[in-house]
Amino acid sequence: METKFDVVVVGAGPAGASAAYTAARHGLKVLLVERGRGAGSKQVFGGRVYAAPLREIYEDFDKEAPIHRWVRKERVSLVHGDRMVTFEYESDRTVSFTTYLTQLTSWMVEKAVSAGAIFVDEVRVDSIVRDDAGKVIGVESGGERVYADIVVDAEGVNRLLLEKLGLAEKTRPSQVALGVKEVVKVGEDKINERFGVAPGEGVSWVLTGDVTGNMPGGAFIYTNKDTVSIGVVVYLESAVNMVKEPIHILVEKLRTHPSLSRLWADGDVMEYAARLTPESGYRYMPRKLATHGLMVAGDAAGLLLNTGYTFRGVDYAALSGYMAGNAAVKALEEGDTGEENLRRLYEKPLLESFIVRDLKRHRGIEWLMSNPEFFKKYPALATGVACRLFDLEGEAPTVYEALRSSASDQGLSLLRLVLDMFRVVRKL
Amino acid sequence: MSTGEAKPKLIRVEDLLQRTVYDVDHRAHIIVDPEKCARCPKKPCTYLCPASCYVLVDDRVVFSYEGCLECGTCRVICPMEAITWNFPVSGKGVQYRFA
Repeated sequence: METKFDVVVVGAGPAGASAAYTAARHGLKVLLVERGRGAGSKQVFGGRVYAAPLREIYEDFDKEAPIHRWVRKERVSLVHGDRMVTFEYESDRTVSFTTYLTQLTSWMVEKAVSAGAIFVDEVRVDSIVRDDAGKVIGVESGGERVYADIVVDAEGVNRLLLEKLGLAEKTRPSQVALGVKEVVKVGEDKINERFGVAPGEGVSWVLTGDVTGNMPGGAFIYTNKDTVSIGVVVYLESAVNMVKEPIHILVEKLRTHPSLSRLWADGDVMEYAARLTPESGYRYMPRKLATHGLMVAGDAAGLLLNTGYTFRGVDYAALSGYMAGNAAVKALEEGDTGEENLRRLYEKPLLESFIVRDLKRHRGIEWLMSNPEFFKKYPALATGVACRLFDLEGEAPTVYEALRSSASDQGLSLLRLVLDMFRVVRKL
Repeated sequence: MSTGEAKPKLIRVEDLLQRTVYDVDHRAHIIVDPEKCARCPKKPCTYLCPASCYVLVDDRVVFSYEGCLECGTCRVICPMEAITWNFPVSGKGVQYRFA
């Protein structure tokens, strides 16, 4: 029995669900295939999503989506031992929010289904099928085939299907980072109290320094409705050489950190999770984002931005899925699903979008991430300066004296310091 | 800051994994080639697998797939390419709820 769809979407994450929703809304016959049980069960992220692209894709997004807290406070900390220097920005705009990706994705899949897409779970796609001419004609799972005019590959960061197809090379440690996360139950009122936020408002917090065992990367803390998501992200390339203890211990040290643990004191760990993320998004992008009958979206397309102080993956994924969905509609209207046409309809606008422009502009982070020294020396320097300025027991040093003496502790000359700072500001 | 609170203790990885829900398949979704693995000088998987699926016992890596969080790290870092990696079938494996 041959089953044929207009579009088969592989992977019901934010990219796949948004592609399915968009194509189905325009009346296409869409099949959304997911390897997990139910929607969302294989989804992991840090904790925060930017809303603007989702508002563009989903009407009534603000009213319906499972939003835990709107981020009101942005914090960035340099941590050394039990000391930290923190920068905080406060705003009451509704720009980004915290949630569980498991919930947000389930909601997106519900939207896709209500728009008419067929959702099939517990099906692991084994390969994308091509005909003799190289045109993608469907997908295969457990020996069964489903045919489609267009396949959207939204398989995620582990690109088993694209590798098999020869469209992506095997992932290298230099292209990805490992994120390990715990969700800790705290209670809604306690979060409001301890983080100093009103109901429905939250904190997004990025930390770097010895919280990653001085490995390039960072740690994060996000407040959800009644839990906090805490975790550590390390670049695999340097982690392979620098890691000194099992990685879960880093997250456990963050949870029990003397300056932080009171924020979630007595909180039970409700879930432990991990995922890879494309860390140098632009470098992880496949050579082409579309071939005859196929488009690639989300993490599989390398669409994740790390600026060092914020991370964007979910909204980029959703937006790329949306663009793939729209491109599918147009291509089928035009009756041309060839490589050239799909690249014109999908890849070109994507490459010209703010997403890819952002990825290109922020490539300086790659340079920073390949300098492990920064992650060790500068948090120590900053906390050293703050300690000299604020922990006064005798003579009060001037800012210059504090800086000079803290820099000398880290073996940094003032000239080197100024040059490094200049480079960091230029690069980020 | 309060000083009376007991210092929180680190949770062992086997207890952390208890906080996460699994439907373990009886078929392993990851296969390790023991010969290639034995020749590996660094064995980074024993540190970087967040679920400690790879444990060093008498200089040999002992592998179990049951606690796998399906992140894919081992596949990327294995210097010997000793790992045949795929996702579990039939919706088995890790079942995230709050991630």
